[in-house]
Amino acid sequence: MRVLRAAGQVVFVVVLVVIAREMYLNASFALGSAGRELSYTYLDSRAGFGIKEHVLGYSPNQPLFKAFLAGATNAMLVAAIGIVMATVLGVLIGIARLSSNWMVKKIALVYVEVFRNTPLLVQVIFWYVAVILAIPRIESSVSVFGLAFVSNRGAALPGIRSGADFGTWLLFVLAALPVAATVWRWRSRVHERAGEPHYRWLLSLGVVAVLAGAGYVLLGDAFRVELPELSAHGYSGGLQISPEFAAILVALVVYTAAFIGEIVRGSIMAVSKGQKEAAQALGLSPGQQLRLVVLPQAMRVAIPPINNQYLNLWKNTSLAFAVGFPDLINISTTMVNQAGHALETFSLVVGTYLGTSLLISVAMNALNRAVALRGDTA
Amino acid sequence: MSGAAPKGPRLGLGLSEDVDLLRFEQQARAIEAAPGPAPATPREWIRQNLFSGPVNSLLTLASGVFVLFLAYQILSFVFVSAQWEVVQVGMRGYMIGSFPVDEAWRVWASAYLVIILAGLSYGVSARRLRPSAGQVAVGAAAAAVAGAVVFFTAQTPLVRGLAAGATPAAIAGALVGRLFGRKILRPLIVAWVLVFPAIMIIVRGFVGVPPSEWGGFFFNIIAATVGIVASFPLGLLLALGRRSEMPVIRIASVGFIELFRGVPLVAWLIFSKFVVDLLLPPQMVIPDIIKAFLVMTFFSAAYIGEIVRGGLQGVPAGQYEAARALGLSTTRMMALIVLPQALRSTIPAMISHFISLFKDTSLFVAIEVTDLLAAARRSASSLLYFGTDMETLLFAGLIFWAVAFSMSRWSQRLEVRLGVGRR
Amino acid sequence: MADRSATAGIGEAGDDRQIVANDVVKSFGHFQALKGISMALNKAETVVIVGPSGSGKSTFIRTINRLERHDAGRIFVGGIELTDDIRNIAQIRSEIGMVFQSFNLFPHLTVQQNIALAPRNVRRWPKKKAEEKVMQLLERVGIPEQANKYPAELSGGQQQRVAIARALAMEPKIMLFDEPTSALDPEMIKEVLDVIEELAESGMTMIVVTHEIGFARHVADRVILFDDGLLIEEAPPNRFFEDPQHERTKRFLSQIL
Repeated sequence: MRVLRAAGQVVFVVVLVVIAREMYLNASFALGSAGRELSYTYLDSRAGFGIKEHVLGYSPNQPLFKAFLAGATNAMLVAAIGIVMATVLGVLIGIARLSSNWMVKKIALVYVEVFRNTPLLVQVIFWYVAVILAIPRIESSVSVFGLAFVSNRGAALPGIRSGADFGTWLLFVLAALPVAATVWRWRSRVHERAGEPHYRWLLSLGVVAVLAGAGYVLLGDAFRVELPELSAHGYSGGLQISPEFAAILVALVVYTAAFIGEIVRGSIMAVSKGQKEAAQALGLSPGQQLRLVVLPQAMRVAIPPINNQYLNLWKNTSLAFAVGFPDLINISTTMVNQAGHALETFSLVVGTYLGTSLLISVAMNALNRAVALRGDTA
Repeated sequence: MSGAAPKGPRLGLGLSEDVDLLRFEQQARAIEAAPGPAPATPREWIRQNLFSGPVNSLLTLASGVFVLFLAYQILSFVFVSAQWEVVQVGMRGYMIGSFPVDEAWRVWASAYLVIILAGLSYGVSARRLRPSAGQVAVGAAAAAVAGAVVFFTAQTPLVRGLAAGATPAAIAGALVGRLFGRKILRPLIVAWVLVFPAIMIIVRGFVGVPPSEWGGFFFNIIAATVGIVASFPLGLLLALGRRSEMPVIRIASVGFIELFRGVPLVAWLIFSKFVVDLLLPPQMVIPDIIKAFLVMTFFSAAYIGEIVRGGLQGVPAGQYEAARALGLSTTRMMALIVLPQALRSTIPAMISHFISLFKDTSLFVAIEVTDLLAAARRSASSLLYFGTDMETLLFAGLIFWAVAFSMSRWSQRLEVRLGVGRR
Repeated sequence: MADRSATAGIGEAGDDRQIVANDVVKSFGHFQALKGISMALNKAETVVIVGPSGSGKSTFIRTINRLERHDAGRIFVGGIELTDDIRNIAQIRSEIGMVFQSFNLFPHLTVQQNIALAPRNVRRWPKKKAEEKVMQLLERVGIPEQANKYPAELSGGQQQRVAIARALAMEPKIMLFDEPTSALDPEMIKEVLDVIEELAESGMTMIVVTHEIGFARHVADRVILFDDGLLIEEAPPNRFFEDPQHERTKRFLSQIL
């Protein structure tokens, strides 16, 4: 019997090895006959194509790997902002699902059922085509108090340009931090001693704001707020948001928030009823019950599934191809069309996605460990 | 016992947490299903649920206004300003893409096959003699909408007749199913197992239509089904491989799963051509679409592997011990004791995965396949119907949504039947 | 079940009744858990409620601090009527401490933090005052050394004693115990009952729902039998156990003794 089992496993491994060897031979043959080897030197060659938006600066004269980097950073920017916004919206939806107000509860339910069951691609195209492109054209931009403009070319918001004294100003802000920390500690001590509410967030952040403001006034050229200008050709200056960026971001946020909402709802309901009752019996207000008893426990349970949703959001940035936003996939396809070397490029794609996913997971893992229920070692 | 906290994410790339989301929802539904307070009078209900305090009242009013506004926008669009001719004209494209029209009978035959089987299954499994009032209302509404669409978009009386015949066929199937009851359960299961190969034969056989010409909604359905059916055995192997004691197998399985799950499906589809070409001998030439299907199958298998792994973990250790004590070999133990229990508990997660896969088939547009969504987009950019983006998107989105939503509802009912989500 | 509409004179000077329940009815969907319960609880009295499972004992005491909402009848706690008014509910809850069958300690907080949570957040006590109170209570229930442990590190009996301390931290006038020892291993039941007994002897007004008959005989001022949503019999322990008046009481006693 033992022998049979061992033999079975050996056979299995042999089969695996044979298949792997076959594939390896095929691969080398394929590469060899095409006259190429796997090489990454093509990444240094000139890209020769433009990219509409980029985080780190790019021009068509730059080498290909810079182009790849531009795509990757674009995708990461969308993901970073998307994760934050989706979490906020998701938590709101989750709480709305649990609301005692029937209307709010039903609206949240409809939201979840609609956005979860529709393909993300449909949603991305919807936001782009049906909403954003439907906004008036550049000639008749909607102006928001003359400070910002919105048209189907995108939005132009007031932006910040760093001035000559920006570095010094940053030092001001840095110096404000220990002061804020002292205020924090002082207020915490007051709270413990006398029981008054500490308002420590308010006061310490207030200190930072006051000092930063003082620095700005004193220095003169810390930074400038740059207002966008509207001309016949388009926008100049300020912070510009392309419709493509807005479309993919909004779609990702709305879609992922539906899932996060369900996780939040489920995790709150997973906290046993007795916990809430004990908190009620002790006389804690509903807000205190939520804050001190239910949410801390719900949050611990929710972290692994939310981690998964963040990873999904990151991977879903690949749907930007549908709106022409220059993300990882989009740029990679252009690179392949331009310079071949599909496999090498693919390996870069794989590496980037896996690497970033790993980073996100590591961060969430650390969070999970930090809040894990202690005392289970007994 | 409250839902035991799942172990934190391992240093992996988001593994079985999809299953956790499902578990939350099951628990939440179980809690909500518990008997509630005695029903109050309508006036009392309104007071309690809508206007119980100043904040609540404000919320109710604000949401009421919002809902009315939205409803007005949607309804005025749908019934007044929309140009629905584009849907009428493009309907065939939406349904079957550039599938040759003379061969369309194949699609009809497959569709009827599935509809009749579905009707039979409903008839066999339905417990109540009559569906509840709610079910009748929903069914009637759906039939009315579908009927309107059919009537409006059918190009020829033949198509109209065939489409209209679907509902009677389903009902007939249900009645026959109820007539024979449990007796035909076994043949019915066999039929379901064979339906997929049967459809393949209907479509491909007798000088049939190659996959490269499949399109429209038909493509989405077929692709999703291929995905799930083909990936299931592979997923099973992966799950078992992950638990293997031999490090080589275990590492290979983990590596496979991480690789396919960690990269978005779009990337896999776009690069499928290159990767598959590389690994196959040069004599083997297969159509690009098959390479894409292959890659999608591996992608789906990775997820199924994780789902099955979750199911295997859920089987209590005592089962293994009892099986061993009875002297069962590993294979027998897995096949007769462990897997049946494990797989049963994974059914909701499997259905959820199928729904995801179905939605993901829309991504095939990235490799120039004309599925439902692509067909809709194409008709919206045609010269004649330029600017009908909203109409076409809404229509395509509605069809996807309807399928996904019904499946998810069915899955919830199934959970109750199976008693999954018991804590 | 004589009609005891004892609502006259509630809250007036000289009224010693801490809890007055008059014809309380409660249903869950179609199931009527309480079919008209009337009783009164006097200061420093210990009332023990016994009865078969599903008789409504737990439901009844849960209506007193509004963990369940009664459908009909009136409930007065310390002279204040229990209604939907949130302020009334909050005030009543601050007078009542509750101990649950499943302890319901907060797993993410230490023993110390569990006990100090309500005084610090509801009564706004400064940290020092709360800490002193915590140690005082832990001494009283016999486990001062466990202050910095987490609930998961304690035995069941210890956890329940912490739960009692937590309820006492708010200095309630009335204590409600919902089957405090039903979830404990036999060897830990005594340590918890001893604490409850000490509490009763020190003059706390309390209702204890329990299956522990020995405890009822020993500690109760009055014993009440619930069955099928109704209050069947109510008497001091010696009369209840030696000379029950009702058929159902006799049947119940014969089953458990």
